[in-house]
Amino acid sequence: MNPATIYSKNPDFVQRDVAGECILVPIRRTLTDAKSIFVLNDTGAALWNRIDGTRPIHEIASEFAEEYDVAAEQLSQDFETLLADLLSIHAIEEVAVAHDPS
Amino acid sequence: MIRADKLPHLPERFPVACQWEITCRCNLRCVMCYTDCYNRPEFVRQELTTPEILRIMDELAEAGTLELCLTGGEPMARTDFFDIYEHAARNGFLVTVFTNGTLMTETHADRFAALPPHRIEISLHGATQETFERITQGKGSHDRCLNAVRLLLDRHIPLVLKTTAMTLNQNEVLAIKRYVASLGSVRYKLGEDMRPELDGGCGPFHYALSNQDLTVLNQQDDDLWAESCKQQSEDPPPCRSGMHRFHIDAYGRLQLCSGNRTRSYDLRAGSFREGFFEALPTFACQWKAPVVSEKIQPTVHHA
Repeated sequence: MNPATIYSKNPDFVQRDVAGECILVPIRRTLTDAKSIFVLNDTGAALWNRIDGTRPIHEIASEFAEEYDVAAEQLSQDFETLLADLLSIHAIEEVAVAHDPS
Repeated sequence: MIRADKLPHLPERFPVACQWEITCRCNLRCVMCYTDCYNRPEFVRQELTTPEILRIMDELAEAGTLELCLTGGEPMARTDFFDIYEHAARNGFLVTVFTNGTLMTETHADRFAALPPHRIEISLHGATQETFERITQGKGSHDRCLNAVRLLLDRHIPLVLKTTAMTLNQNEVLAIKRYVASLGSVRYKLGEDMRPELDGGCGPFHYALSNQDLTVLNQQDDDLWAESCKQQSEDPPPCRSGMHRFHIDAYGRLQLCSGNRTRSYDLRAGSFREGFFEALPTFACQWKAPVVSEKIQPTVHHA
């Protein structure tokens, strides 16, 4: 995971909040995923809600770490897994790699 | 992240699934239909308007409803059907459409393909044109129905074909089932229950099969017989309507289920949340266990 990467959401995935669960529904699904929805855990939902196509992932992670009491290493692992999952179903896409101001 | 086909955890009572009879309009006049009594202009004029449907649908989405079945009548007989369908699909409902298929065009099929439904269920009540159209009373309806099947299969739309067994088609059910099997990915459902018309008429029962006829029919097919034996060997579970599922009729009335319209909550006048969480639990249902849950009071009696 490159922490400078910026991701945007695929508009063909609609977020639904159902009974306390954050669900992604692919609205242009194919026959193979016609019966699939994707249920995000709390970390996944928080990440999804912060992906906006403008902020690099390290900025989102910093904000997340300030808000929740979670170790940086654990957070990094969780984000890596979640981003891989979201990329694998094309719910997000990489839009750019931010320049490092340093 | 978990890939699923339904939610893994739901509260004991939550409005996850809606069956919505968006119209009693229909281009056919099926002999056993229970909604056709309201397929008349004076009733159609009272049905929900497009803005009313979209407003109520938005309330369902806000409340967390995920599964939405659009039925009728013939839902595609509404000129605004795709406004309704596409609003639902774009807002992340898992939409099922119950249709007779006979109004389907290439353009319609393309619109379904662009925003695919969870599934489409088409009624196929006869294997031959003669039987099919004796039931639907619609000339040319058999060919149009089969054309819809082809249009949707060509576009890989998940499809279910279903038959209501009755006196007029009992000798063709197995042929219908074989036809469906020949289509490959299409599921088949056989229904055996007739329901009284919504105005209380008993017309559909003139076509009901006797228990003996149903047994003879089911014994001719391993799948049907296995399903029949399974149903007869089990006591029916207590009805759970109003717990996770609910029904809305063409006039915006919220009800426990399609088969129990004894009491309603008017969604034109009140909110869905109030209707589901406050009104529905007070509606009676004779099929519920005496105490199914402290969250619903099925034994309440009313005038």
